[in-house]
Amino acid sequence: MKVVEINDVHKIYHDTEVEVRAINGVTLSFEKGEFTVIVGPSGSGKTTLLNLIGGLDQPTNGEILVAGHRLSELRPSELIDFRMEHVGFVFQSYNLIPVLTASENVGFIMSLQKWPKEKRIARTNELLGSVGLSDRGNSRPSQLSGGQQQRVAVARALATRPEFILADEPTANLDSKSAEALLDIMEKLNRDEEMTFIFSTHDAKVMKRARRIITLEDGKVVSDETRTEN
Amino acid sequence: MTNFQLAWRNLWRNKRRTMITSASVFFAVFFALLMRSFQLGAYDRLFQNVIESYTGYMQLQEKDYLDDRILDNGFFPDTSLVRKIENDPNITEVLPRLESFALAAAGSRTQGVIVMGIDPKGEDRATGLGHRLVKYRLDDSAVNSLQHQDIPARTRKLIKVFSGYSYSGTARLMADLGIDEKDSAMILPAIRKFASIRNSYLDSSDTSGILIGNGLSEYLKAGLGDTIVLIGQGYHGASAAGRYRVKGIVNLPAPDIDNRIVYLIVTAAQQLYDAPGLVTSAVICLKRNDDNSLEKTRLRIGRFIKDPLVLVPWRKLNELLVNQMEADNKSGLILIGILYLVIAFGVFGTVLMMLAERRREFGMLISIGMQKRKLAGMISLELLFVGIIGVAAGIAVSLPPVFYAHYHPIRFTGQMARMYEDYGFDPVMPTLLPGGYYLWQTVVVLVILIIAVGFSARRIFRINIINSMRT
Repeated sequence: MKVVEINDVHKIYHDTEVEVRAINGVTLSFEKGEFTVIVGPSGSGKTTLLNLIGGLDQPTNGEILVAGHRLSELRPSELIDFRMEHVGFVFQSYNLIPVLTASENVGFIMSLQKWPKEKRIARTNELLGSVGLSDRGNSRPSQLSGGQQQRVAVARALATRPEFILADEPTANLDSKSAEALLDIMEKLNRDEEMTFIFSTHDAKVMKRARRIITLEDGKVVSDETRTEN
Repeated sequence: MTNFQLAWRNLWRNKRRTMITSASVFFAVFFALLMRSFQLGAYDRLFQNVIESYTGYMQLQEKDYLDDRILDNGFFPDTSLVRKIENDPNITEVLPRLESFALAAAGSRTQGVIVMGIDPKGEDRATGLGHRLVKYRLDDSAVNSLQHQDIPARTRKLIKVFSGYSYSGTARLMADLGIDEKDSAMILPAIRKFASIRNSYLDSSDTSGILIGNGLSEYLKAGLGDTIVLIGQGYHGASAAGRYRVKGIVNLPAPDIDNRIVYLIVTAAQQLYDAPGLVTSAVICLKRNDDNSLEKTRLRIGRFIKDPLVLVPWRKLNELLVNQMEADNKSGLILIGILYLVIAFGVFGTVLMMLAERRREFGMLISIGMQKRKLAGMISLELLFVGIIGVAAGIAVSLPPVFYAHYHPIRFTGQMARMYEDYGFDPVMPTLLPGGYYLWQTVVVLVILIIAVGFSARRIFRINIINSMRT
């Protein structure tokens, strides 16, 4: 089942005097349960593509369908609700809410969706358990290591059972041990819960585990390789 | 996690910034309230002094009298009307006054004077005229005699300095002559012996007695028991002339009145001007004199007042003073405006800094699904908390000094005290108890905060997620 379809998408920036073609005619699709990595040199358009898929940015041309929604047809406030319901984000620099505890960070999107308190607490505990942080629920982000914070971010992204998770360089700020631990968790979630992960990365450890690797160069897909086994 | 909880936690995330912003609001509110309460308290006391010494809170007049103060614009009060007015629950009495002009002569000296016909007892109750009788006068003979008494050299020297001065009470006399409490038992008997004046007040049946201002007494060189002749124009062009004996000398605060006023009982003034029963105004004395009670009373008794009579409230009677106070009030408001402008810049500085610092966080919150309006609501709450903490602390801390200074006003000494006393006022600076002006300060701070909230909300609604996440 296709969760994302990208048809001849272009993204041109006019921020400077020079026109920048960040994405240049990309056509791709992602199936449910994929563990996909988008790679490429700096400036190749990885983050831009992730932003377009997540509805954080709008393409200049082309069409993106996510879980049956044509993103270009959604108004800004509908896009925000769309992201809350269908997309999970894991950022390079964790981006947890500093004044909330780990549990509260995980439960934040559920509270935005007005989940009942008991259901929210149960789901939070379940997720913290699955990322190995059951005992750190009351810690603030500043009391957690980088790897722990990123695991909380993963738990937060999974909280409302989105269609897929977009992870932009999730291991970039982590030491190799923490990165491996994080990838173990993500792989397990992918396998056990059939959660779709789409990464952008330079990290060989991530690429090693990916089942599909898409390579971008100058905003174009230069290769799209699917592995049957890791 | 509600917006309220999140905003409250965010507030204490950068404690120093929150404290500095709240403190700036606190100091502005505190100083503005203190400044305003002293300013309004001073006006209140000034009005009270002027109204209770001269005009009263309300007068009954003929409609043209306020603009053209001549006898022809006087009126003959109807006793049934006066009774109706006096029956009002907020009115204690109605005092008749007949005010006109005449030429006063004593020996070879003459002076144009204001002739005020009064009800002596009522006037004393309403304006304390009886307490203004001169008790001591340091004339040449008193000064010479006191120089030979056994009194401290400093006081002796000061007696020479204040030669010619008159006093209605011992407090001012002691202050001028540098007499402290412990020396008073030694010095005051000598002063009483040589400088006392045996003044007496008018009584209601004394049609030949007259009270004169101290300044006028000095100018005319007319003392107690001397004869004053008044010559002028009576009612409807009749001639007015009368001879009176000086019964008392009064010390009045305003020099231009003190130099030109004489008091007669009202019937004597009516005889002088050949206008039996005529008055130019009737002072209406009130129990409760706040604006609200005054207005209610005016409306109640206004039903009995028929043209050409009108009720003139104290603001109209003291229009010049009211205008002067309003002009002074504006300067106070400008100062407070500047204070709040500084605060507004402080608050905006904080808002700008906060928006810049948290741009990435805002971008993240919107990207994971927080609606911009909810985010703007959270930031608004944060700003309102900061403001409310500052305002509440400012109000709370201002209350003790405002209450204290109202019941224990700051008392001036030296030249400042003398200046106040010369105008017949207590040399004190009281505060006005908290009232509408407290509410206004709160409203002003809230308006500043609402503008800041509007500004930050606008910035949040214009956030570009991609750009903010890059910062």
